[in-house]
Amino acid sequence: MLSYLIRRVLIGCLTLLLITFIVYGLIRSMPGSPLTVQMAEMDPSRKIRPEDYARMQKSFGLDKPWWQAYGVWLGNVARLDFGRSFLQKQPVAKVIGERIGPTLLLSLTSLLLAYLLSIPMGLYATVRNGHHDERFLSTALYMLYSFPTFVTALLLQMLLAVKLELLPLFDMHSQGYEQMSSWEQAWDLFKHALMPVACYTYGSLAYESRFIRANMQEVMKQDYIRTARAKGVGPLAVIFHHAFRNTLIPFVTLIGLTLPTLLSGSVIIEQIFTWPGLGRLFFESISARDYPTIMGLTLVFSVMTLLGTLVADILYAVVDPRISYS
Amino acid sequence: MTHRLVLGLLLPGLLILSLPGCSSSGPEKQQPGEAAAEGESKAAEGAKESTSGSAPAAEEVLLEPFDAPPLAELDEKAEWVDQPVVDAVERLQKLLAEQQPLATVDEALALKNDSDEANAKILSALGRLPEDDSQVDWGASITRHILADVKTTNPIMVSSVQDFDLAGLTSLELFAFDWNLEFFANQDSVVSWQSSKDHLMDKVVLRDDLVWSDGRPLTAHDVVFSFQTIMNPKVPIPAVRSGTDELKWVEAYDDRTLVFFHKQALATNVGNMLFPIIPKHIYENTLAADPTLAESPEHVKYENEPVTSGPYKIVKRVRGQEIVLERRENHDLHEGKQVRQKPYIEQIRFRINADSNVSLLALKSGEIDELLLTPEQWMTQTGDDEFYSRNTKARGIEWTTFQFNWNLQTPFFSDIRVRKAMSYAFNHDEMLSKLCYGLYVPSNGVFHPAAWMAPKKPLPYYKQDLNKAEELLDEAGWIDHDGDGIRDQEIGGRSVPFEFNIVCTSVQLRVDICSLLKENLDQIGVICNVHPMEFTVMQEKILKHDYQAAFGGWGSGADPGTLDNIWKTGEPRNFGGYSNPEVDRLFDEGKKEFDRQKRAEIYAKIDELIYADQPYTWLYCQSSFYGFNKELRGYKFCPRGPYHYSPGFMSIWRPMH
Repeated sequence: MLSYLIRRVLIGCLTLLLITFIVYGLIRSMPGSPLTVQMAEMDPSRKIRPEDYARMQKSFGLDKPWWQAYGVWLGNVARLDFGRSFLQKQPVAKVIGERIGPTLLLSLTSLLLAYLLSIPMGLYATVRNGHHDERFLSTALYMLYSFPTFVTALLLQMLLAVKLELLPLFDMHSQGYEQMSSWEQAWDLFKHALMPVACYTYGSLAYESRFIRANMQEVMKQDYIRTARAKGVGPLAVIFHHAFRNTLIPFVTLIGLTLPTLLSGSVIIEQIFTWPGLGRLFFESISARDYPTIMGLTLVFSVMTLLGTLVADILYAVVDPRISYS
Repeated sequence: MTHRLVLGLLLPGLLILSLPGCSSSGPEKQQPGEAAAEGESKAAEGAKESTSGSAPAAEEVLLEPFDAPPLAELDEKAEWVDQPVVDAVERLQKLLAEQQPLATVDEALALKNDSDEANAKILSALGRLPEDDSQVDWGASITRHILADVKTTNPIMVSSVQDFDLAGLTSLELFAFDWNLEFFANQDSVVSWQSSKDHLMDKVVLRDDLVWSDGRPLTAHDVVFSFQTIMNPKVPIPAVRSGTDELKWVEAYDDRTLVFFHKQALATNVGNMLFPIIPKHIYENTLAADPTLAESPEHVKYENEPVTSGPYKIVKRVRGQEIVLERRENHDLHEGKQVRQKPYIEQIRFRINADSNVSLLALKSGEIDELLLTPEQWMTQTGDDEFYSRNTKARGIEWTTFQFNWNLQTPFFSDIRVRKAMSYAFNHDEMLSKLCYGLYVPSNGVFHPAAWMAPKKPLPYYKQDLNKAEELLDEAGWIDHDGDGIRDQEIGGRSVPFEFNIVCTSVQLRVDICSLLKENLDQIGVICNVHPMEFTVMQEKILKHDYQAAFGGWGSGADPGTLDNIWKTGEPRNFGGYSNPEVDRLFDEGKKEFDRQKRAEIYAKIDELIYADQPYTWLYCQSSFYGFNKELRGYKFCPRGPYHYSPGFMSIWRPMH
């Protein structure tokens, strides 16, 4: 197992190198550069002197060809220096670090919520397959699935924040958050996170419950289920103990693949709710051609993806005794 | 076996890369003050200096040293002429006193802004200043909206619109301009302002009660230090250097007396003196170690909590979310006495949100008190009772024009007849009435028709005339020779069809307008392909002159002389390659002419000449649309919007209940 892990980690590092190399080449090849962005923002009636232009180019690292600048970036990363954001003029590690917490708050919560809700719904749909209530549930879930998140977000805001004034409109904290007690802070955070989490979660419910239902139906056709029933095992035990556990392999794949999305955030939700998340940061960095931040985020997402597949693979061995790694 | 190979390759590789020498010339390695890995970075600095050899032999010099003559000598020879020193709010008060309000406050608050008349009444009634101090709620707070976070709080490093908005409140201004774009010295900071008769010098005497937010006095030496820092080639100043670099020298003769020396006697010199001020006692010690003013720990600290000279100081900043400003006591109180007008608003909160729909919801729910509205929002989403329960709205003209920019260096648009044909082919009326909801005024040239420098006899507006357009194209040699429905011409031995691309940003209105052009040109045998693209990409193309036609717009600077970098031959913002020696000459003349009347005539002539050449097809002048909370008073629009002039935001107040 250990040698397997080491192998995976090393291959992961190679993959990371390749990913970052290609991404860096791509972003440097994009038309426009941080210099273009800076010049665009300046008062149109102001001139740029050629010396200033050259100096600005150098400060963005644009005076070198991209593969050389990549080497510089890589060298810095090896010493844990992720550079400085052009946009925010703060260390990239700090900028990303500040936003990881809020992003995880939304994504972890919605992930857990989604599984907590979709597993029972999927199992229920399996049991009540063909009946009216199951059809109704499936249709309702599909309708939810089709509803675009930004429309839902705005509707929720209009209803809950503007009309009924039950929840705050946007942001993560209210004014005066620092002076609140721990309980009040938790409650304040809960109120602010409610709408974003709802928007994050509802879309995946249909997909995941359907996924579970499809896998369960496969398993329910197996002979050992018929045997269990013939032996007189109760219906609940058949579902949970015998059937559901055998659907865990594809389920684990799903979890492993969802891991990267934990940190990728959602640009639209974060923009609408002014939530300080990584999705909005990524989008803004690309628009501003903020190379250090883009590379920092690419690194974070790639690591998460590689970790996710590794975790999924290890969980296979846990879930399925037939699988072992040497 | 494989994993040993991988190990063998990777580990040494990582080791080599982590050696300091490898990344010594990286762009990040410029802060010797950085706490982490300081030893390594110092070594890197050493390696850089010895290996890269990039230090220039001669250091770049932006400011020629100048030996300022003693003040007595200047006083003898200058023949000083007094210039206006004005309190902007007082000047506004005087203007309002001459005008009768068109409605009472209650009437205005009950109105819906759906006509010019209603707009005029609302602005007239709600734009009044308080009659006496007891009417004002001095503890008021206001929540303002900005689209994006500021890039910096340091006033000399400003570049984006949000940076300027913030700096306008936190930074002291020696000079400013009013709603007529007339310059004056600010009575809040200046005792007297005089110009020498030959227009080469300006003498300013500062007040003796100016104080930074940390309590230290603000003196003429701070102004000189700021000037020197802006002109220091090592400091990466994004925006405020241009204009400032036209000053020859700034000298402080004592704590209060300043003389600005100009390189030439130009009417635009006043604008060059508007550079922002930073505290000498803070930055003189830290500048040498970190000329970027953004990286050392001290500079980062001052970026988050700057020492300010203006009426407000920053008390809280959450990046990407909000910035909170509070009125400074030591700005208007000096040694216990009230020495200048207290700002009406005690606390200003800037809330950041990039989504226009959510921002409008925030305005409706009262979370923000003012908002820049889009035309669609003005027309369709702010007319119902729900909006008017808390808010009202107002609009004003802006001297921001939008146009099709033709690239005169393409075979298509180098011919003036073709450009005129484009202006005739376009359906201006449909754009104005349908796409722009009838909200915008058509543009007929460089200046807004109501501007002081526009021609007295307005230039004729182009209207769609497809026959005329076709005649002109025929004359220019663009004829459908091969019968395929598309005009063509033989250029360089080849038959070139009249097919071109127009680039624009992905704003729906702009895409629609370009599509309308495409439709119109389809009817006369010209193919136009609309290419909406990301703003940065479009910028890049335009800066490189890599375009055939583009949708663009220009805002108005405070002085028309600054437009020379759009219109003069070879200037940086003359993207289309327009060149008219007479226009070049007139711009130079306009800068040297001091009489406003004569200047107006010069710029009117420039407008007429450029209009005749049609390097652009002018489309419309946009208006500013703003939603305001009903409790706000004192806002006033000028051609640069409600805030980007004096008094701007400072005239807004909340009445006591």
